[in-house]
Amino acid sequence: MIIAKQMDIRANIKEFFDMAYNGETILVPRKQNHNVIIMSEEEYNKLNQASRITAYSALLTNRIDTELKIHNKQKLASIRSMKKNWNGNGAPAFSKKLIDKVENLLNKLVIQPEIFPTALGTIQFEYDNSRRDHMEIEIGVSEVAEVFIVKFNGEELTENINVTAEIINERVQSFYG
Amino acid sequence: MDKTFKNTEKLYRAVYPPEIADIFWKKDGSISSAAFADPKGLSVDRGNYRDDNEVIDSMRERFKGHIVSLFVKNCTDVNAIVRYLPSKTNIYHTEIHGDATTPLLSKSQRRALAKAAVIITPRPL
Repeated sequence: MIIAKQMDIRANIKEFFDMAYNGETILVPRKQNHNVIIMSEEEYNKLNQASRITAYSALLTNRIDTELKIHNKQKLASIRSMKKNWNGNGAPAFSKKLIDKVENLLNKLVIQPEIFPTALGTIQFEYDNSRRDHMEIEIGVSEVAEVFIVKFNGEELTENINVTAEIINERVQSFYG
Repeated sequence: MDKTFKNTEKLYRAVYPPEIADIFWKKDGSISSAAFADPKGLSVDRGNYRDDNEVIDSMRERFKGHIVSLFVKNCTDVNAIVRYLPSKTNIYHTEIHGDATTPLLSKSQRRALAKAAVIITPRPL
């Protein structure tokens, strides 16, 4: 980007227009910061398209996340309705305390997990990223949850975290890198 | 029936609860490792080299949900123990345990078995 005064532009308008046509962006400072930019139509169209793609991508991500949030709410209602021995092998029913805790977490999580019940009376959050790493967070009534990660190369990591939406959000953000 | 298992024998897992059959299915069509967590040991039917359809028909007499299959090798690869424990109602009943003293599979074993599992009845919609 180059910066040029109004008077220079006026005196050499063809040269500046040619520069812009060849891909240069020219900033023209004006009083009260009423600055303008000179650029080619091609550059303008590129910017406009990129901006629309970004907006569409954000809209799509938001829509997918909203759909998953609705799906998770429905799934949590199903888990709430599962009675003792739901697995045919004596699994416990899920406590109201745990269901409420998970519902509260899901409302505050920036990225929705896939959720699954376990016969241990816990609810497992799962995330899979584009690198093919896999992360599970097992939520129980305890204040601490175990995080289990299997990386794409088979390397496994386990750690304990305190169960708060803030900490899970941080952990998930780090997982998605 | 032989109490021992060869790596090539198939094991069949009924995915409960049958009335909410898609509860363990992931967005990508695979099954979650959560379906392999059981503190009492993971109940399966041994195949004893029967045809898949014969096993499904036999399991359908007791269970209406979905069925996934594994090979014994998938279990031995992660050091899980396969125990033949026939009952009065099911001569094929077998359990997969985490190790010799712990029935619960570890998270790592559950994940490996979930990845290896083949869904042999149609995936729920």
